[in-house]
Amino acid sequence: MKPFHGLFILSLALLFVNSCTIYEKLFDNPVDFEANEERGIGAPTLVFYPKTQTVTQIDTILVGSFIVFQEDSTQPFAGVHLQIEFPNDFLELDTVKPGLFITDTNNSTPLFTYTYDSISTIDIYAYFLDTLKKDLEGTGHLADLVFNPVGVGSDSIFYNLDKCEMINHQDHEIIINGIRGAEVIIK
Amino acid sequence: MRMNQRILVHLILTFEIILGFNPEPTYLVLNYFDRDLPAAEQALIDNFSNSTFEFDPSIHHMFENIDNHENPAASHMVTIKELGEKYQVNYILFNRIEHINDRFILNGLLFNTRSGGLIHRRKIDLKQYLNGQINELNMWVGNTVGRVEKNWEKNRESILFSDPEEINYEKTPRGAAIRSLAAPGWGQAYSGKKVSAGLWASTESSLSLAAIISFLNYDKAAKSFLKNSKLYDGTNDEKEVADYRAAAENDWNDHKKYSQLAIVFAAATGTGWIANSIHAWIVGPRPYTNIYQQWNTK
Repeated sequence: MKPFHGLFILSLALLFVNSCTIYEKLFDNPVDFEANEERGIGAPTLVFYPKTQTVTQIDTILVGSFIVFQEDSTQPFAGVHLQIEFPNDFLELDTVKPGLFITDTNNSTPLFTYTYDSISTIDIYAYFLDTLKKDLEGTGHLADLVFNPVGVGSDSIFYNLDKCEMINHQDHEIIINGIRGAEVIIK
Repeated sequence: MRMNQRILVHLILTFEIILGFNPEPTYLVLNYFDRDLPAAEQALIDNFSNSTFEFDPSIHHMFENIDNHENPAASHMVTIKELGEKYQVNYILFNRIEHINDRFILNGLLFNTRSGGLIHRRKIDLKQYLNGQINELNMWVGNTVGRVEKNWEKNRESILFSDPEEINYEKTPRGAAIRSLAAPGWGQAYSGKKVSAGLWASTESSLSLAAIISFLNYDKAAKSFLKNSKLYDGTNDEKEVADYRAAAENDWNDHKKYSQLAIVFAAATGTGWIANSIHAWIVGPRPYTNIYQQWNTK
């Protein structure tokens, strides 16, 4: 007769109690309008995806630019102007490519161009051109920005909300209510 | 006198002077034994001197089954009064001794002949010891008349262990408690409490099973939550983001619910386990601490 048998089973019961960890419910995908709302950022929102990334100096940095609408209150749009600023002390712009959303499923070639002031500001101009549709509607991918690291450190890429604008095919402005930046860490 | 293995001895025992010449109470003593106890009569004569005895076999069955009467105390009022007048005594003592295996039962009744009612009764169930029946008869009669000798009490103590500290008990409450700590219900079963053993075992099994099932569900939901959270973070597709988020939220709610259930059931299991062990100790086997045994009315 060993009392340790009972103690062993009691220990198992305690293990049950200790094992039941409650995980933190953290939803923070920039493409998720609910996550943005939870942080007080209204839609439509200009965001980057991923919101943070860690790379080495030999890697290429790819940052996607997205427009995020609230699911039940989307507005048709046809053109956007995005002004993006990035830390040029450790990032160097490589290229800017049109996003999947504005190229459309018919693979239409949109009007897509950008300017770079050779310092830290990129201006992207895009206009949706299609033979059938005049506007786009909903959350989608606007552009891809490719950077090369030139140093080590961490900083943010962000939109200049004052300069960003979105219009429909009748050239009426659609108010952009929020922006989210992206963090880049280079080791 | 022997009648069907029974001896009915009727004796008049008077103390000091009988027939009312002395203010001391007088007694008629009726003995009814299921075995022959030839020394009983002489022992009473020797121990209670100045006594005379008379025998009357015609009333040998008078006091049998007194408990079957609606009012045992008043069951033989007329007869008692008649006997009191016939023998000119104040009280009647009726002693019945029956033997069951290694025990004997002394049933003593004291009647008042004036009222005819039962005024005192003693039932004792004793393990047999040397001359135990006669000794107990002496003690009962002596107690009634207020004359108990020390050596009678010492004789009774002879059936006790001289050194109780050296007794090794085969089963103990501690043994029951330890067994129940190892497996709920085992200690109760060890103590012969089959019903409570079954109840404890089934209750603890059910609680343990519920705790395990809750924990497994928690574990499944937690893993699914982590998986869906990772998928949610890893996509920039609007629809996939919404789907993974909804799935992860369901998983999170489930893992929290099952976590709470697992904790509640585990706590109930642990508490019940300890309570079961304490219960096993409380109902654990204990030896009788005196030579008396509870009277079995059946």
